[in-house]
Amino acid sequence: MGLKRFVLRRLVEIAVIFFVIMTVLFVLFRLAPGDPVSRMVDPSMTPEDARLLMESMGLDQPLWTQYLYYLKNVATGNMGISFHYGEPVIDILMNRLPNTILLFTTSIILSALLGVFLGKIAAWKRGQRTDTLMTIGALFCHTLFLPWLALMMIWFFAYRIGWFPITGMVSPDVWIDPGAGFAARTLDVLHHMALPLMTLILIHFGSYLLVMRSSMLDTLKDDYIITARAKGLDEKTIRDHHAAPNAALPVVTSVGLSLAFSINGGALTETVFTWPGIGRELVFSVSHSDYPLAQAAFLIIAIVVLVANLVVDVLYAYLDPRIRY
Amino acid sequence: MSDASLPSPKPENTPGRTRPHWVDRFLGGWEVYRKNTIGRIGMALLVLFGLMAATSFIPQWVDPMYHPMTGVDPHISHSTGPSLRHWLGTDFIGRDIFSQLLAGARIAFMVGISSALISILFGTTIGMVAGYAGKRTDLILMRLADMIMVMPTLLVVLILSALFGQLNIWVIVLMIALFRWPGVARVIRSQTLSLRHRPFIEAARVTGASHLRIIFRHILPNVMPLALLYMTFRVTSAIIIEAALAFLGFGDPGTVSWGMMLQWVWKTGHMFQAPYWMLPPGICISLITMAFYMTGRAMDDVLDPRLREEETTP
Repeated sequence: MGLKRFVLRRLVEIAVIFFVIMTVLFVLFRLAPGDPVSRMVDPSMTPEDARLLMESMGLDQPLWTQYLYYLKNVATGNMGISFHYGEPVIDILMNRLPNTILLFTTSIILSALLGVFLGKIAAWKRGQRTDTLMTIGALFCHTLFLPWLALMMIWFFAYRIGWFPITGMVSPDVWIDPGAGFAARTLDVLHHMALPLMTLILIHFGSYLLVMRSSMLDTLKDDYIITARAKGLDEKTIRDHHAAPNAALPVVTSVGLSLAFSINGGALTETVFTWPGIGRELVFSVSHSDYPLAQAAFLIIAIVVLVANLVVDVLYAYLDPRIRY
Repeated sequence: MSDASLPSPKPENTPGRTRPHWVDRFLGGWEVYRKNTIGRIGMALLVLFGLMAATSFIPQWVDPMYHPMTGVDPHISHSTGPSLRHWLGTDFIGRDIFSQLLAGARIAFMVGISSALISILFGTTIGMVAGYAGKRTDLILMRLADMIMVMPTLLVVLILSALFGQLNIWVIVLMIALFRWPGVARVIRSQTLSLRHRPFIEAARVTGASHLRIIFRHILPNVMPLALLYMTFRVTSAIIIEAALAFLGFGDPGTVSWGMMLQWVWKTGHMFQAPYWMLPPGICISLITMAFYMTGRAMDDVLDPRLREEETTP
């Protein structure tokens, strides 16, 4: 019961925050130098089409009415037509959203699991060589510059030894071929996903490892660990079943706190690997002055971040029975 | 350049009475810091990068063709590998990569430190005010902080550059700072909360000190070490965001930063042919981030005795 109320309250909060972000974006798009009409209407449209679009977005109306139109349009998913693709922005982005979510969630879950696993071992062997190596390795990976790491991965794994494709998400020939089954297509996507995924995991697991290590060190001092030892349980059981689950909780918090950082990294990774996701679309639209696409891509990313935050919070409450909202 | 614009980090401790206390504390901290291997490595790397930044004006002074932005070797019109004339080779139009690397160090320090100073200034002030004032002020400020904290800074700056065109390097610095204060504010706020009911604050209040005086004269010196610690972490994130922005092609076109160099390698399609060009800027960005991060962690050990004990007992 408590959890349900908590989620409801957070949903209301998310709605409020999203509303503020929307409003700020509206103000910025109107404040920026230049003509707001030219920013939302493709200059290459016929005058008749342009007039229809302007009317549907209320661009011929006073600012206040424009704002109401804007709210209505965002709510109904009508966020203009992309200058570059000539299609409704929302269709393009909804097409990209699953790709982003696939790469983003897989990378976060895998790097958190890896961080928890290695951090557990590092803390268990504290002060020994394994610990030192792991801590330094984690620090090193965590501070690598992501776009550069991505380029190096492409250079080494795709260009020098040719294990993985250089760019993209699918190979056209597999997808055109009607004989290729579901398994072949899945494998093809996984093959393309390997490099971006490895890049993201390498960048992210380090901070989780460090969090897990220090939290595990704290946990190992707790009384119930001493009790477990006194009961004569073997070391592995103590480490994996008594200490680790409790020590992993701060990692969940840390995943939540680093979500914005992960989204930045996701956009960079998508761009370098030409992974057809929302982040790449945002970068692309900004460099091509495709304003409707940029605005919508940003709003969708904002929703993704807010929802991901909520998911992490709920997960935390679920994992820690002491937390009741 | 950047050094001249730096305000003194501790403007509040000028009266003579508190100075010895500060010096003592600093020297004591330095003793602990010196014993920390990670801290020593970080500091050594920072000195190295500092030297790079300090010597960045020398190449172009030797010969204008070594100017990182405008200097072009008259005999070279494509990217060439390392040679005596160009220690790290040249880029696609014959500019010297080594002198670009040195200039990049200067930009990295400039961006990192000035942006971190601004965000620390905001974060510390807002955190202290929120923690001290409590009630509605606290609630509003922290909600604002939460809201900004969930936004991915890089993408926000990206959207702004879409609207306002190419951003000047100082605008980028300011943007990064404006979106990076909430984390600092949260930490400073909780520290302030724990200080608020200490006897010396109560005593100051009883003697009739104003709120501003209590905040800046009594609370600030106590949260200052924590703020300085967070500054090192903000430096890294500012450097990374600027580099990423430049890498994506939205940096200040008038500056040569390491991110910009990587963008040139990437956009001109030299990433497979010119390792001598792709490796140095990437290594530099990664190492300077690591150096600041290591310094920060070592400072953390100095500030938190609990961690220090854990590190020494095996």
